[in-house]
Amino acid sequence: MGRLTLSNLIEAAIFLLIAGIFYAFSFEFNQPIEIYIFGATAWPRVVIGFLLLATLGNLWFHYRYGNATQATLGQLEDKADFSEAGTVRRMIAVLLTPFIFAYLLKPIGIYFSAPFFIAAIIWFFGERRWKVILIMTLFIYCVFIGLFLMILNAPLPQGNVSPFYDFSAWVLKLNAQLQGI
Amino acid sequence: MIENFLAGSAALFGDPFTIGIFVFGVVGGMLFGAIPGVSMLTLAAILLPFTASLEPAQGVMLFAVIYCTGTYGGAITAILFNIPGSAENAPTAFDGYPMTQKGQSGKAVGAAVLCSAIGGIASALVMMAATEPLANWAIRNIGPPEIFALVFFGLVVASSVGARTIWKGWMSVLIGLLIATIGQDPVGGINRYNFGMTDLAAGIAFIPAILGFFAVSEIFVQAEKKASGKYQAPKVSMTFPSFIELWMHKIAVLRSILVGFFCGILPGIGATLAAFMSYGEAVRWSKNPEEFGKGKLEGVISAETANNAATGAAMIPLLALGLPGGALTAMMVAVFQMHDLQPGPLVFMLSPDLIWIVFAAMFYANLSILIIGVLETKTILNLLKIPFQFLAPLILMLATTGAYIGRGLVLDVMVMFLAGIIGYLLRRSGFSIPAIVLGLILGKIGEQNFAQGMQMVHYDLGTYLSRPICAILIAAGVITLASNIYRAFTSIKTNA
Repeated sequence: MGRLTLSNLIEAAIFLLIAGIFYAFSFEFNQPIEIYIFGATAWPRVVIGFLLLATLGNLWFHYRYGNATQATLGQLEDKADFSEAGTVRRMIAVLLTPFIFAYLLKPIGIYFSAPFFIAAIIWFFGERRWKVILIMTLFIYCVFIGLFLMILNAPLPQGNVSPFYDFSAWVLKLNAQLQGI
Repeated sequence: MIENFLAGSAALFGDPFTIGIFVFGVVGGMLFGAIPGVSMLTLAAILLPFTASLEPAQGVMLFAVIYCTGTYGGAITAILFNIPGSAENAPTAFDGYPMTQKGQSGKAVGAAVLCSAIGGIASALVMMAATEPLANWAIRNIGPPEIFALVFFGLVVASSVGARTIWKGWMSVLIGLLIATIGQDPVGGINRYNFGMTDLAAGIAFIPAILGFFAVSEIFVQAEKKASGKYQAPKVSMTFPSFIELWMHKIAVLRSILVGFFCGILPGIGATLAAFMSYGEAVRWSKNPEEFGKGKLEGVISAETANNAATGAAMIPLLALGLPGGALTAMMVAVFQMHDLQPGPLVFMLSPDLIWIVFAAMFYANLSILIIGVLETKTILNLLKIPFQFLAPLILMLATTGAYIGRGLVLDVMVMFLAGIIGYLLRRSGFSIPAIVLGLILGKIGEQNFAQGMQMVHYDLGTYLSRPICAILIAAGVITLASNIYRAFTSIKTNA
């Protein structure tokens, strides 16, 4: 195993899996192009080949030198610290919340789901005073509505499930009335 | 040149709305560059979809202004928090942050204001003189083989930026290139990797991907720092450096302008290489090199002069050849494309007004750093008191809207958050986000030009490489690649 750690192996496995999936799917569009002899698969397969080489090179590097670093330019990131279970739980929650929000945009719409999303993010970032969470949620929601709905008239997802759709329709109607005034 | 510059200035300041956009860009660039957790790239990514409703000149000008002022703004977080706004501000933190720890943050920020302005103005003047002749030359001498060679060279150089190891730099570039293959192939229009989803036939939209990789992943990184208690408030002072102190470093400023401009022209990393090389030269020429890294003013001056000197130079490959030199100039390509324009030599013939408005705006933006830098820096220092827990949801809401309104697809919002999660995980594992984004943006350009070039030379590689500019660029890329590979086997830092 040399100086390889479990995370090095997982990292390599993920990249090899990505390369494998993309290679396998490249057969789906493996058809000739009349004006170009290399076809549609040549470029992606060359990229996959190099990705494979780089992944193996990276694995060799970790095998030989462990988690050492090299003199590349502009290394901005310090290493992640997941030594505490609480940090891991909170990060999983922070990572999942936007995804759940995005998933719910189609059925529920942004007008109804946004305040819950804003409040959740404020909470996950460590704010525990519920009055502050409430006031800041309202403030950010008003800024968002004011900017995108009232000023820019941006078309945003309204949802397609009742009563959320009705709520979005009410917000839009209110906006139209305010614009009329 | 002067006539064109005056015409560009008149167009810039003759329309109140354009002035408003200019001022917004100046203030926004500085502000987003300076707020920890976000950067000029975050602002640019958020604004990208909205530029569709602007005139092309206004949209490109806005990004150019953000580029100038944001490059300076990133120095503030580098100095105060040890959080460089972007890779080009990283060397600023080497001495800027130790100065803050010694209670000299005002001196470091003051030097950054002045040197960023000097570097930027000098660079803008050279850019105005050099870009058009270069573009005219490019029309006659640059074809698809040369553009592919430039893309190759840019990607090789980009692979050595920002990642923890050279291998990871390459993996970052290649992941970007692989993402770019999703959608129709640029030669035959055959659908690739749409995984049964019709929305993916058009490929991964740049805007959601960029928003995710930069803005969203940055929020996740800051969330992690909050959760693990690593987030630190800075010590702030507002004692600016004296004129004599700055005059003593005039040679360092001149050297940094030259280094900055030379590096800025290189597609791929531009300002980042400039800042690091300039800092390295400052150490090399210093009588007391051991003082660097411990709070030496010359370290801040060298890095900040060079990275702003590179901003003007980085516009030369973008406008003259259509090749972005970094993440923000890559987004500028997207602004051009949103208005059915393609940056490159033809823009000088088709839209000369646009070019000179952008040039004039960059000149005045650098001047603004000097004039309002001091004033705004004080404001920024007050705004730094806004807790990040209130900034984060606002940024996420802006990003969500920005990703959605481009095509009206919830899929794009999902792509953005997925890119955010992937970007966060890759950043924390030592991969380079700018390299991924450059791979993503340059992938299609590279493939298309490679194919066109091969068709031009009837698939004869000898003819391809007999074109002198192409051969030089390919050779430069291969030498850089060989040097990277050599370093990959030899240049090992101490075990972490």
